[in-house]
Amino acid sequence: MNEKGQLCAENRFAAAPPQGACRKAALFIALIPLLLFCSLLFGPSGIGLPDIQTPLGRAIFSLRLNRLMMGAMTGAALSSSGVIFQALLRNPLAEPYVLGVSGGAGLGATLCILLSSGIFVTLGLPVVAFFSAVLTLMLVYTIAGQGSSGQPSVYSLILSGVIVSSVSSSIIMFLVSTASIEGMHSVIWWMLGSLQPVPAGQQILSATMIIGAIACSWLLAPRLNALALGREMAHYQGLRADRVLAMGLLLGTLLAATSVALSGMIGFVGLIVPHVMRALFGPDHRKLLPLAAIGGGTFLVLCDAIARTIFAPVEIPVGVVTALAGGPFFLIILQRRMKQAWVS
Amino acid sequence: MEQAALTFSKVSAGYKSRKVLDEVSFSIREGELVSLIGPNGCGKSTLLKTAAALIRPTLGRIELFGHDVQKLRPRQRASLLGVVPQKIESPMAFSVTEIVANGRISSMGRFGTLSVKDHDLIERAMIYTDVSGLRNRLFNELSGGEQQRVALAMVLAQDPRIIMLDESIAHLDINHRQEVLQILLNLNREKKITILLVSHDLTLSAGISDRFLLMDAGRLVKAGTPAEVLDPKLLSSVYNCDLQVKPDPYSGTLQVTGALDNLRRQRKLGQTVHVIAGGGSGLELYRHLLIEGYEVTTGVLNRLDSDAESARALNIPSVLEQPFSPIGKEAVAEARKMIERADAVVISSVPFGSGNIVNLELASEALSNGKRVLFAAGIEQRDYSRERLVSGFADTLAREGAVAWSTIQELMTDLMPLHQSPL
Repeated sequence: MNEKGQLCAENRFAAAPPQGACRKAALFIALIPLLLFCSLLFGPSGIGLPDIQTPLGRAIFSLRLNRLMMGAMTGAALSSSGVIFQALLRNPLAEPYVLGVSGGAGLGATLCILLSSGIFVTLGLPVVAFFSAVLTLMLVYTIAGQGSSGQPSVYSLILSGVIVSSVSSSIIMFLVSTASIEGMHSVIWWMLGSLQPVPAGQQILSATMIIGAIACSWLLAPRLNALALGREMAHYQGLRADRVLAMGLLLGTLLAATSVALSGMIGFVGLIVPHVMRALFGPDHRKLLPLAAIGGGTFLVLCDAIARTIFAPVEIPVGVVTALAGGPFFLIILQRRMKQAWVS
Repeated sequence: MEQAALTFSKVSAGYKSRKVLDEVSFSIREGELVSLIGPNGCGKSTLLKTAAALIRPTLGRIELFGHDVQKLRPRQRASLLGVVPQKIESPMAFSVTEIVANGRISSMGRFGTLSVKDHDLIERAMIYTDVSGLRNRLFNELSGGEQQRVALAMVLAQDPRIIMLDESIAHLDINHRQEVLQILLNLNREKKITILLVSHDLTLSAGISDRFLLMDAGRLVKAGTPAEVLDPKLLSSVYNCDLQVKPDPYSGTLQVTGALDNLRRQRKLGQTVHVIAGGGSGLELYRHLLIEGYEVTTGVLNRLDSDAESARALNIPSVLEQPFSPIGKEAVAEARKMIERADAVVISSVPFGSGNIVNLELASEALSNGKRVLFAAGIEQRDYSRERLVSGFADTLAREGAVAWSTIQELMTDLMPLHQSPL
């Protein structure tokens, strides 16, 4: 082994393939501030940095900065939640939406928007979303556990998650169709997903929850690695596999619910960003989790910059951009490097 | 001092509705290499899972080096016991080193850091199993044998004192199997690691094991040295097929072989067995006799009887009578001719009544004509005739030298001497 190989990381066993992952990760992280700065240049008021000498420029700049924060938070939460769910369920299709968690959070949030008003919506929304997501998760877990002895299997979890998810989206549709015009409008706007800045209080609360949850799941990362070989093998290696599973599900739910409360239902990020990050940097969750959080945040920020600029002054839902712009780009990466992410 | 590594005391375990282990008791001393054998579904895997505290026993107690398995902390348990499963599957593309490092997961620091000791254990495990050269390869791209060696390295990295392997070498080809076995033997002989090997290859196990545990239907049937457990009679009844055990002329280790050898089959060819059956009692007889290479005839059966249907499906020549009618003269005459051409007559565990008792008459006729007759033991309990005529026939049959059989295995052995004419 050459000297450089040893210097790469003091942990010989973490830094092996894919080749040159260290350098790539460094390059990636160095690129982030640049990309984030670029996103500040775009907006419906024109391309370029607003003049912060004028009050209008200051307002525009602060608005763009706010959007950047919203995008970074939501993207990071969605994408790390996707990483967690994919690891726990050992399934490449897993994401916050599959387990019904987002659907549940969405239902809670819809009720919150329709039934209450004013200050309660802003501060209550994340809390309500989180609790309804946890309730949904418990429901899914209970349904999946029926009939099997002890722990539910991954397949029954996914199956019952999909069912609960579609039930909750039907209920949302029913609520929307019977709501008043204003209620209907705000729910639909919210469901399409938008990074309109929420009040500062809610932003701080959400940021705390997201950073906390990502930090906690990063502590779980070595255990997520072991869990990739299955719950049984993890048990043999001295893990309390079921406890790790429950913890992980809870953290993933917290992240998904917070992002839903912040910016509604934004698809694609939670599914694809984890895959791309895994393809680029390997599946070791100690690296993957933070990188996916950073990557997801940046990706959503960039998409939002496009969404608010491309048809200015009309703003299109950011979810449209994530899928339309991100889809082809990620497809190319995945096609080339899928082998490094999942077993084909 | 030799300590008990793993002790089961009257352990019962199972799943919700099904009891899989039934009061299993045994003890494995430290440093032993023990093979756990038994037919599919007899509870071997469940036994391993129970020993590893993955399944909680409903009754009884399991001790691992003197500690109650259920009360051990997971981390402690992992430092005592390692399990190599049949196959490990990694859905994500982990490298070999990342997989092996999982063996130290329970001793990793909060941030997933490894101590120098952890590193050394991982390195040593990889050298020992000869996977160092594969360290940067992706686990999923390795061959089956390499993957199994990596799995073994991962379990070795746990630094356990006992390793249990769940048919982990069954699907390897012969060179990889030898290689993995050699590693196991070295571990056992040099490092005194206790090994419990679930195995389907009895001959292979006989060559390396100190002791055998034989399980059948959730119970421990026999524990002892290879010579004690590899008893052809015992094995044949547990595995429900004809097995032979003979020492290898060069090494002296025992070899277990099935009855597939052509010579025996050849000798049986041309031998005809006539089966008297009915009501489904004949199917197993037909099946076994045909597999063994006999020509089979059967009758008299009633049409629509399930045995008549099976005989037709198996192309077995049969004499049939109208449904639900007593056997008539014509059918009897035809059956008599058939029996004359047969070398032996086998009577199944069919109940006899006035309708089919004539079959018994035919059998005793055959017996007096010098044919061998083998009847399912306990005919008199299946006597539904008036005046207990059947029991009378049974007595006559037994008196005149017919042989009673109670299991198919027994029947097959009893049938054999007849055909072991000199080559």
